[in-house]
Amino acid sequence: MKNMLSVRKILGLTLVLAMFTGLLSGCGETGKDKNTFTFATWAAGTELEEFQAIIDKVNAEANGEYKIEVLSIPSDYYVKISTKIAAKNCPDFFWMTQELISKYAQMGALADISQQFQNSQVLTPDLYYEGVIASAMYNGSYWGLPWIANPLIVYYNKDMFEELGVAMPEPEDDWTWEEFLDVCRAFSGKQYNGNTVYGTVVDGWPNIETFIWAGGGDIIAADGQTILLGDEAAQKGMGYLHTIVKENLSPRYAEVASLGDNNVWFEKQRVAMYFGGMQDNFETKVAAMNAEEQFEIGYAPMPMCDDGGAWSFDWTASTVMAKSLEGNELAYRALEAVTQAFFEWKIAPPVKGSLDNIVEINPRKEGAMDTIAYTMEYARSANYIPEWSDINDKLWYNLYVSLLNDADFDYKGKMNEIQQYSEELVSKRK
Amino acid sequence: MSQKRQRAGFYFILPWLIGLCLFTALPMVAAVYISMTDWDIVGNAEFVGLGNYITLFQEEEFIRSLWVTVRYAVIAVPLIIATSLTIAVLVSKNHKGTGVFRVIYYMPAIVSGVAVAIVFKWILDPSYGLLNGILAFFRIQGPDWLYDPDWVLPSYLIMAVWGAGGGLLTYLAALKDIPEDLYGAAMIDGANTLQKVRYITVPLMTPIIFYNLVLGIIGAFRKFTDAYVLGGAGKEGNFYMVYLYEEAFGHYRMGYATALAWVLFVIILLLTFVVNWTKKYWVYSE
Repeated sequence: MKNMLSVRKILGLTLVLAMFTGLLSGCGETGKDKNTFTFATWAAGTELEEFQAIIDKVNAEANGEYKIEVLSIPSDYYVKISTKIAAKNCPDFFWMTQELISKYAQMGALADISQQFQNSQVLTPDLYYEGVIASAMYNGSYWGLPWIANPLIVYYNKDMFEELGVAMPEPEDDWTWEEFLDVCRAFSGKQYNGNTVYGTVVDGWPNIETFIWAGGGDIIAADGQTILLGDEAAQKGMGYLHTIVKENLSPRYAEVASLGDNNVWFEKQRVAMYFGGMQDNFETKVAAMNAEEQFEIGYAPMPMCDDGGAWSFDWTASTVMAKSLEGNELAYRALEAVTQAFFEWKIAPPVKGSLDNIVEINPRKEGAMDTIAYTMEYARSANYIPEWSDINDKLWYNLYVSLLNDADFDYKGKMNEIQQYSEELVSKRK
Repeated sequence: MSQKRQRAGFYFILPWLIGLCLFTALPMVAAVYISMTDWDIVGNAEFVGLGNYITLFQEEEFIRSLWVTVRYAVIAVPLIIATSLTIAVLVSKNHKGTGVFRVIYYMPAIVSGVAVAIVFKWILDPSYGLLNGILAFFRIQGPDWLYDPDWVLPSYLIMAVWGAGGGLLTYLAALKDIPEDLYGAAMIDGANTLQKVRYITVPLMTPIIFYNLVLGIIGAFRKFTDAYVLGGAGKEGNFYMVYLYEEAFGHYRMGYATALAWVLFVIILLLTFVVNWTKKYWVYSE
């Protein structure tokens, strides 16, 4: 009987220990080979399948030198990435949008790849478009390799322009923002296909950077310290947005969501022009419509800003490397190989001399090629700094949305206020 | 109970006890420490003492989000209780078809918060939404709801009332516990329906109203899902929990966000104490 009890005790304790070990085994980093790298992506569905095919190809070409494993995080991407970093279980490579690079670099989560990038025989900074590669820079160092660029161009409805007798912009037009507003005025309030139409649609998109640049200004200077919102040029740029709202050149802010997303206003022929990324696939959507709903799409570059550049906000994502891999040559070779493979995947490749890839990726984009080639030279991102998320919050809620809701809103006063707030934030930077 | 049996019982609860220590007690202790640091999730945490707690009371956004939440809680909690109780009284009788109504009213409780938010995005759409469509039928110009700062709170209250059936089960169970002979006696005394509700149903329901009041306050202060999905013009949809989440995962101020979480915990705790203290004045006990 005594022996039986001991056996039970041992069995019970073993069970408890097994469960405890089981619980803990889920925590921390799992062991893996030094030449195996994890790549976290927000891709899901078909995009993930395409991504996996690219990784398989890169792995096959590596001939066993390294192996990349895919980790798909389709929702709450940055929450999960930051949690993984906190748990010391950071993926080796992961995608990162340009706005966050400075923040993660400052937090010490990313590898500084400057030396390897500048000394590479394969992919060097000068191969990238200047405005695009700047998005992966912070504090004079490179923190990632951009793999996609998606600058804005102006899509317009050629049929609507023709029917309402408005002169169309050219594919490489050097039109100004004033001229763009005049074109909007020619449409707004007119009837087309039984609907009242507008010149364009603005509901927080295009982003605030676009308007601030329009006046020749900027939000943050290249030094990453000076805030420029109080400058006359920045405020003049916001004045263009103010005109759009005040003169009803766009549907009301509260009205835009009624059709779904803002691009639907263009697809349903309710606005003449739309600021869209090069990647926006209106061509395929229009081709899939019934014959009577189809329309011909025209392309124009972004209007010329007051400083003479046709600056186009470019959403760029980079592949970044975990801090723990800083200086790791094998990891960098893998990063370089996979980045090059991405250039044949998405519109638009961020490197010079690769525009032909666009028509191969999507033949329907052929009509946009002149505008795309012109725009790539002006593609750029803002000078994002670690405090950007706080500054952007104020710019969005306290400035942009307030102006969209109230045409009489004192946007200049608010910009001066945000200037002060941002300066205080930057002054506290560690 | 013999010592051996006690020990065996302890072994059985040991996995749960380990889980409680590891996943509840330990994180809570860690959270106290984190709230006193400037931890940004990745780098090293620097001890700042009560710095985060001092900062948050100076932050305009903290005061604003707390005000949005308190205002919502003050109106929504009694509104939900009143609606839920009324529905429960109406569907408590076993008439033909009441079962269907019980299911319909309880249904919001089993629908995901995100799905509810998406449906309400359409219902409250200023141009093509269901609500403004109905108002237009009566020649009333509907408001911009979530796009107009003045109408954001009413929008969330409408959603709260729609989901009020969630408390139905507890109210129905409590209604069933009220002895029928009390109503019989009241009927003999000549009480009408309203008097029966006023002097029998409501007083005997106060324990369950108390329970739902406490849970309602906690729920209102922890409002997140629909507010996170829908937002609201002029930051009127920026409830406390949304603000906390944004600070933690949008701005990576984990130390500050943890301090916010502790402040919320203290607020809820104090309110629960206050409600509990009032219990002796209005909650029926045998």
